[in-house]
Amino acid sequence: MSSTPIVTDAALVAAVADGDAGALRELYERHGAWLHARLIRRCNDPEVVVEVVQDTFVALWKDARRFRHDGEVGAWLWGIAFRRMVSRLRSRRDVVLIPEWDVSPTLQQVMPSAEDQVLLGVEYGDLAAGLRRLSPEFRSVVQAVVLDGLTTKEAGRLLGVRENTVKTRLHRAKAQLRATLTEPQEGWR
Amino acid sequence: MTTGTEEWHADPALLSRYLAGNLDAVTGASVEQHVSRCETCRATVGRLLEPQLLERTWAGIRDGVERPTPPYPMRVARRLGLPEPTAVLLASAASLRAAWLVGAFLSLSFATLAAYASDGTALAPFLLAAPLAPVLGVAAAYGPRQDPLEALVATAPYGRTRLILLRTIGVLVSVLPVTVLLGLAVPGPPWLAAAWLGPALALVPVLLALAAFVGPRIAATIVSLAWSGVVLGSTRALAPTWPVEAAQQGVYLGLAVAACAVIAIRAGTDRQPGVAL
Amino acid sequence: MSAGTSTVELTGVGKRYGRTRALADVDLAFDRGVTGLLGPNGAGKTTLLRIVATSIGADSGEVRLLGRDPSRSHADVTAVRRELGYLPQELGYPSDMTAFGFIEYVAVLKEWNDREARSQEVRRVLDAVGLADQASVRISRLSGGQRRRVGLAQALLGDPRLVVLDEPTAGLDPAQRADLRRTLSALGHRSTVLLSTHQTEDVAALCERVVVLAGGTVRFDGAVTDLVATAVGRVWLADEPGDDALVSWRTGTGRHHVVGGRAPVGADPAEPTLEDAYLLMLGPDAHRVHTPS
Repeated sequence: MSSTPIVTDAALVAAVADGDAGALRELYERHGAWLHARLIRRCNDPEVVVEVVQDTFVALWKDARRFRHDGEVGAWLWGIAFRRMVSRLRSRRDVVLIPEWDVSPTLQQVMPSAEDQVLLGVEYGDLAAGLRRLSPEFRSVVQAVVLDGLTTKEAGRLLGVRENTVKTRLHRAKAQLRATLTEPQEGWR
Repeated sequence: MTTGTEEWHADPALLSRYLAGNLDAVTGASVEQHVSRCETCRATVGRLLEPQLLERTWAGIRDGVERPTPPYPMRVARRLGLPEPTAVLLASAASLRAAWLVGAFLSLSFATLAAYASDGTALAPFLLAAPLAPVLGVAAAYGPRQDPLEALVATAPYGRTRLILLRTIGVLVSVLPVTVLLGLAVPGPPWLAAAWLGPALALVPVLLALAAFVGPRIAATIVSLAWSGVVLGSTRALAPTWPVEAAQQGVYLGLAVAACAVIAIRAGTDRQPGVAL
Repeated sequence: MSAGTSTVELTGVGKRYGRTRALADVDLAFDRGVTGLLGPNGAGKTTLLRIVATSIGADSGEVRLLGRDPSRSHADVTAVRRELGYLPQELGYPSDMTAFGFIEYVAVLKEWNDREARSQEVRRVLDAVGLADQASVRISRLSGGQRRRVGLAQALLGDPRLVVLDEPTAGLDPAQRADLRRTLSALGHRSTVLLSTHQTEDVAALCERVVVLAGGTVRFDGAVTDLVATAVGRVWLADEPGDDALVSWRTGTGRHHVVGGRAPVGADPAEPTLEDAYLLMLGPDAHRVHTPS
């Protein structure tokens, strides 16, 4: 697999809209594995993950025309995949994992190398520290809305609270974080 | 502030830890934010996952893409135990699609409503519609014009006659039970609820027999006109239930037997290639 | 060709449609290999192929397919159909089926009941006609040539012993024709392939054996090279068209390609092509089909 693709993802999606199954396969080669990985981190049932990835690409095949070419294909696919998983597991709340935010000593925590920490820190900076200090009910909201890209309404449904509660908590979480940061980070808007 | 990471890629060890779930949430979130925007790292993840898993998922995608989803009634039937090859054959029949069945259900419902609202005097719509629904459904399910694969069906081992009978049964199974239920809501003597079955089960073989000679469309037209004539003609001078009274049922039975005989003889002479139902 | 061992045997076969005689007293036998049925429109090619494909029966004469008489019993004709692949001249395609779905439907009609084996077979035949990437495309969105190839693919299901193709090259460009040639010649090693066309280029490219049919009767039955040989000494390149030539036309060089009749004055003998031999074989019907190449 070439690491410098000649064809852009958006062009592949356009080809899929035209009925090119080879383009679908190529998109799967590029994004399928990462979708698996991200989903399995949130759901401990591997069968569900396989089905969701399958549904996502079949949905891509059927709705490729709807892609509005205004963002990354990967992000668009994630939006489809995560929403599908959430609705599928709505009745099985136990299987959906909201990643554990506390650094628990019982887990086999291996910290990334110093260099990786520094470079990852460039992405988030003090944000990481601020996130760690968030109260628990704020964390789940931040995870759902900011990191996973759900709307406040969808997050409400996932977490079992009203949409207004989500909005309030999000607002308060941002306020808490702002208090610990010097400047807003990219990725929050 | 993220420009520095454009040349940076997560090393495979870090990604392995991510995959194993050994990163805390915040570090994991950082990794996610990066990899989501980096095709090189996505490729690395692809190499770290088991190829069989990815292939297995792809096989499912390919399946979903190659075969359009069968119509809803078919999916229900499959869950009830219908064999898979039969489902493939039935799925393409127009009158087994949800749209057609909904249309049939609606027409029958209106006819039932008319009978109910008129307290049993306006039975004609129901007596007209109930037997014709399966007849039209069967006619819609086959024929050289409706079935573009006619030439292939005629020369395939499965057999055209068998396919027509399969579709007929499919239509009857999907239409008759609902009509029986609606019949119970029609006011009048208790035997009325099922009396329409007599003409229904007679007109279908008559349709098939006629269709063997003149094709399904003409046959359907003839049968519909004839039955309409009987029902509507009888409303002038006779009781509303006349078309389905005992004497008439006997006639229908005779017609059904005759039609079945014609079909049997015709199917029997199917040995001559090209001559079929 | 000893009687009783050929895949297809037609003896004295005739067929009438009302007043029209579609076939008259046809004696043919076919075995493994690719045979072309060449003839003008209305020659009876389609009728002949439909009889061999068990789509219709003959009015007179004897038909034996794969050692059986298809008119004898339902079991006989079904046994023949199990080893038959057929591409009719006019094939309709339900517009909302995918290529895969269409071929899968035919596969079920051919009694492929196991879903996994059936899927693999469908993919195999799609690949054989070069449509592996179009498996999931709706037929309504395929080009005419692609649809024809879908039709061809279903005829290849199960590697049948008897393959009947009515105008398989219709709508194919030269590259696709070359692909078809490769597929058919591989097929011809194991199976009896019968195809019809009204274009001599197809026969030259695809077939080892040719049957010329015109007016419902067989005018020639033999190897392609033998057919060409019948035209030796009867084709010329001349400055003037001959008076009693069968057909003649102006070539690009300004000289006339003359077929049949007596040698015109100052004519040079020309190497006969299959087209020339075909025209000569048709005789008086030749003017109906002559298309200068």
